[in-house]
Amino acid sequence: MTDKKEDTKNRAAMLKSLREKHKETVEKTQALLKHNQSIRKQIRQAMQSGPMTVPEVAEATGLPSDRVLWHVTAMKKYDLVREVGMSGEYYQYELAQKENQ
Amino acid sequence: MAPRTIKVDALVVGGGIAGMQSALDLADQGYQVALVEKQPSIGGKMIELSKVFPTLDCCSCITTPKMSAVAHNSNIQLFTYCDIQSVDKQGDGRFVAQVIQKPRYVDIETCTACRQCEYACPIDLPHPFDQNLGVHRAIYVPFSTAVPQKALIDIDNCILCGKCERVCPVGCVDFTQQPEELAIEATAIVLATGFEITPTDAKAEYGGGKLLNVVNALTVERLLAPTGPYGHVLRPSDGKEPDSIAYIQCAGSRDKSLGVEYCSRICCMYAIKQSMLISGALPLADIAIYYMDIRTFGKGYDQFYQTAKAMGVQFIKGKVAKITEDENQNPIVRVELIDEGSQVVERQHDMVVLSVGMVSKYDPRTIYDVNVAGDGFVDTPLTNVSPCVTSRPGVFVSGSAAGPMDIVDSIVMAGAAAAEAAAYIQATGPNGHGGGRSIAAGEEKELAHA
Repeated sequence: MTDKKEDTKNRAAMLKSLREKHKETVEKTQALLKHNQSIRKQIRQAMQSGPMTVPEVAEATGLPSDRVLWHVTAMKKYDLVREVGMSGEYYQYELAQKENQ
Repeated sequence: MAPRTIKVDALVVGGGIAGMQSALDLADQGYQVALVEKQPSIGGKMIELSKVFPTLDCCSCITTPKMSAVAHNSNIQLFTYCDIQSVDKQGDGRFVAQVIQKPRYVDIETCTACRQCEYACPIDLPHPFDQNLGVHRAIYVPFSTAVPQKALIDIDNCILCGKCERVCPVGCVDFTQQPEELAIEATAIVLATGFEITPTDAKAEYGGGKLLNVVNALTVERLLAPTGPYGHVLRPSDGKEPDSIAYIQCAGSRDKSLGVEYCSRICCMYAIKQSMLISGALPLADIAIYYMDIRTFGKGYDQFYQTAKAMGVQFIKGKVAKITEDENQNPIVRVELIDEGSQVVERQHDMVVLSVGMVSKYDPRTIYDVNVAGDGFVDTPLTNVSPCVTSRPGVFVSGSAAGPMDIVDSIVMAGAAAAEAAAYIQATGPNGHGGGRSIAAGEEKELAHA
């Protein structure tokens, strides 16, 4: 048990020192993560009302449609949204049940 | 500590189709081969493609078995995610390459590519494999058929949160990995460093890379591939299924303003191929190909062109002068219709594809001491008699590192490069019997006169 605690402590210290070593890229990536999380929040909120196309999400959120498409593509790849048929010339997407972000 | 030294007969540089084929052809003759690839997986450009012309065979179905064959061949040692720093000739005439194995931050022996780390990682990044339309996480398996099928961490885009390490069931994440130095000793070198496509932003007249619905042909390959970013052919500005698609031929070749005066030899055929595939995926879509002239010179290629015409693909003679876009980001093509009284028209499409050309990717002069030709590709001074021979004895070239060529020609050249390298190894190498063609002496004489 003590060994396990020691391991966890060492691991945390190692990660901390690595974060210090890669400070510049870590900070840049943290800013990117924050930015993306805020976009994702807006997209998820818009999609609460049911299946939507990319232009519909873009209109509801005020985000550029190409950025919405990129995020929906990312969410689809990691099973956070799924495709549910078409509306005109656009695919519709809805939040997956296992939405966990 | 001296770096680990690997002794082989041939070093193949580049793990695209040409490099893989040269490595396999040498290995199947019993030669020991080291294949070095800078990317985390072999497969090159070919593994990104949807289907091949003129047979429309699935590209992945052809390339993946070759990738596996390379990985499982007992005569091939595969080094991925490696950079070659220098190549020197030793006293015995053998080459020695200093190689850096970049850290993957994942133990390659224990990783099972379960991708649990990838699902746990919070960082989404544009995926170059999908022409940045798709995503990968900061820890990721490069693509579904990657060889080796192992994860790696993009340390420059990682916040070092440790989530991947916590979920990994085999404990293979290792943030402490360091670059490793290797030395590879070889009698012959085969350069298979491949090509790059003309940058999409090269031509200001075509939007300079700023128009979202003006894409390059490699992007369309990903849109058409079953493993592509969207799983469908959609345009990147808003995910619309395009009704009208135009191809602009010679959008990066035969163009003095770009310094690319040659024909890239593949663009007509890939545009025809993609138009046929899009016709299959989107049967109601109108597809137009704006061309200067259509070049279909290979076996079965002209029949392929005739089939596309019969399928309803429109071939319009005219060099596109300019591409702009309307308020809905629909590209507008300005073109002189040569076969319709040379009238100048503007036509709106949902998506425009630039048939970009092939340009040299890598300058081998510093490290390999071989000449490059005026077009930037590796010089082959004996093109008509020994097309794989470079200006330096013992260094051979395979595939599109030597100039624009399609997959068929790359595979043919890969076999030829393997044969030339094998003869050189026989004639000069420590395991050679000396009975082979005396390539080195003969070539040096010929090259002196070239």
